[in-house]
Amino acid sequence: MKMKLTAAITIVLTLGMPGFAHRLDEYLQATILSIETNRVQFSMRLIPGVAVSSGVIASMDTNADGVISESEQRAYVEQVLRDLSLNVDGHPLEPRLVSAHFPKIDQMKEGLGEIQIEFIADLPPGGAHRKLVFEHRHPSPIAAYLVNCLIPRDRDIHVVNQSRNRNQSFYAVEYTQRVGRLDAVSATGWSGIMPGALSGFGSMFRLGMRHIAEGTDHLLFLLVLLLPAPLFARGSHWAGFAGLRQSVVHILKVVTAFTVGHSITLALAGLGVIHTPSRPIEILIAVSILVSSIHALRPLFPGREAALAAFFGLVHGLAFAATLDQLGLDRWVRIVNILAFNLGIETMQMVVVVAVMPSLVLLSPTRAYSFLRIGGALFAAVASIGWIGERLLHIPSLVDVIVDGIARRGIWMAAFLFLISVVCWRVPTGVFFRDNGPRRVI
Amino acid sequence: MQFPWIRLACGVAAVALICLSPIPAQEQRTATPKIVAAANTFLSTLDAKQRQSVLFAFNDNAQRARWSNLPTMAVPRAGISLKDMNGGQRSAAMALVASVLSPRGFEKVQQIMEGDEVNKSTDQGPPGRRGSGGPGGPGNGGPPPAFARRGAGNGPIFGRDLYYISILGTPSEKDPWMLQFGGHHLALNITIAGERGVLTPTLTGAQPALYTIDGKTVRPLGQESDKALALLSALDENQRKNAILSYQLADLVLGPGQDGKTIQPEGLKASGMNERQRAMLLDVISEWANIIHQSAATARMAEIKAGLDDTWFAWSGPTTAAPGKNITAYYRIQGPNLVIEYAPQGLGGDPAMHVHTMYRDPTNDYGRKFAAK
Repeated sequence: MKMKLTAAITIVLTLGMPGFAHRLDEYLQATILSIETNRVQFSMRLIPGVAVSSGVIASMDTNADGVISESEQRAYVEQVLRDLSLNVDGHPLEPRLVSAHFPKIDQMKEGLGEIQIEFIADLPPGGAHRKLVFEHRHPSPIAAYLVNCLIPRDRDIHVVNQSRNRNQSFYAVEYTQRVGRLDAVSATGWSGIMPGALSGFGSMFRLGMRHIAEGTDHLLFLLVLLLPAPLFARGSHWAGFAGLRQSVVHILKVVTAFTVGHSITLALAGLGVIHTPSRPIEILIAVSILVSSIHALRPLFPGREAALAAFFGLVHGLAFAATLDQLGLDRWVRIVNILAFNLGIETMQMVVVVAVMPSLVLLSPTRAYSFLRIGGALFAAVASIGWIGERLLHIPSLVDVIVDGIARRGIWMAAFLFLISVVCWRVPTGVFFRDNGPRRVI
Repeated sequence: MQFPWIRLACGVAAVALICLSPIPAQEQRTATPKIVAAANTFLSTLDAKQRQSVLFAFNDNAQRARWSNLPTMAVPRAGISLKDMNGGQRSAAMALVASVLSPRGFEKVQQIMEGDEVNKSTDQGPPGRRGSGGPGGPGNGGPPPAFARRGAGNGPIFGRDLYYISILGTPSEKDPWMLQFGGHHLALNITIAGERGVLTPTLTGAQPALYTIDGKTVRPLGQESDKALALLSALDENQRKNAILSYQLADLVLGPGQDGKTIQPEGLKASGMNERQRAMLLDVISEWANIIHQSAATARMAEIKAGLDDTWFAWSGPTTAAPGKNITAYYRIQGPNLVIEYAPQGLGGDPAMHVHTMYRDPTNDYGRKFAAK
């Protein structure tokens, strides 16, 4: 393209009037944190836009003499710092001013002035996992906040999570640090380390629990696989109740096999030994649900549910690892975190199994059980086909919305199921269903 | 029996030899000498006084960092502007800029400058257009009164001739030196170190981000917008959950004056993308990496590809765009040796019409990896 000196130039949109790359009707407040072992450095830039600068200047120039004197500057900086809420692990921190630089008042009037404030907060000794909160106590409606933290220079400090509210007036960063060092031990004592270490462990544990609680596809797979667990197969059909002990043992076997399977791949992928793209894994997970739901309808591999659970557990573990991967942890920090994360998954899984197992065991000897089994299996089959379509062919569906909606009411669903199963178990089956076959095999 | 096989193998080998080896090698041999020649030609067109204002010491860090997205009257640049050159000097200057850039990179630069010319022609419209309540009032992103006054008094504050060129060090085929070219919405910082060329840090911006010239619609940073939106649309629900940030981003985080900072990356990691999505991500990145001349761009893309697994893509804002217009969302691509930010500027106007972008290599801004001796 040649430079054209004369040109028929037209603006396409009248709204796109010439303007400037500086702030106009906002008060930009950008802060960058730098985390060290015993202190945090804050570098703050305040840039009032031209349309709001007069108000900001008025709040600085308290005697309105058109000059921002040194004492007025100091007072303004103190006000800015007072307005911040800083804490680490719930302990309030005291900001210490290092330097403040004010632009010329004329620059500020034009929306070009940048106030720079550097300050430091000393950190009390703490544990392996810390949470630092930086909050503008009285967020201004004209302010546009930006808060970020630098990748810590200290290679033993790793940021594991950052969270912000929508306008960024609230910012929290969670990080891990090494506390095995002698200085840290002597400074804090074991009592100081343990809660911290546990809280780091705790947050990964909670993440694991949340992951499986929200990762409804994992739970659905497991639940559907458990549906025929209390039954025995006869030919190509599910026959009656396999017996109380048999049922419990069977359920525990399936859950344990699933755990072993996903623990193996979670550890391998988490440590970077194996690497898999996420999409095929997500599709395979949907397939695993489909397979187990067909199995719940008609026995495909009776008695070998544990092997199936272990095999698909391997696949589900790879998906868990992707979550860990998103945290961007370093390999050595990961080992502890994988353990905590996995224990979180196991715990949540156990909660779910414990919540539904009594219902399954109570209900399975009754004729009503086949309704639950077939209904549940059909639901899971439809959901898994929806997921496969979504993940393989990008066909949008409402599966996530529906399944999530049900999962969110999980406690009520489990309670309702239990109520039904108690009723069915107490009331002679003949009242509701004609008894036409062997029910109890004990 | 074996004869045709041998011939075929020889043929393939010969073609491979021709295709692979001599051309890139030649490219690498010729890029820097060409640039140095263009620089020397440009310098020879200047008088002693002009030359003095163009040349800086290679280690002049103040001059290195003297760039901005702002108009040149707001943040004065050093060096010499196209406005203060005669026709011959000006074309020698542009030839030098063209020699360090790819054809598409040079075109992009010209489109950004042309956009500022559009700004200027609109700025000189009837004063009533900026009156209170008019479309150009402060609430609509029009120039603030302070600038408008200055513009009227001291000549234009926009335009394609308000771009400055400066050289740090001595143009050389062996020793490192730097070329800077920039003004409103443009800051190219190019380090030439032997055969290597480094474009970081570079700022591009556009306002209006869409204009018509001679009946042709131009979006200087349209590909940056469209390719990123295409990538976002190619992500599945789970990937989007990670890629889309839950908070607003009003501006560049690592804009002018923020050299040497590496923030904690966020969003979706490319290791969690499939091959097609990864290729799309590389294609977005190429919009910046390929601004520089081909051999430097090829080396840069290889470096970025090597770190792709650890490269993050984060998005904040609307996930759709009006047809034919730029996105109104912020996005960031961050890898081990890469930071790209795309930040639409609302400023009370239409954020699709005004954008700032930043391109950095936290490990090698101003080519310090190659320049350090």
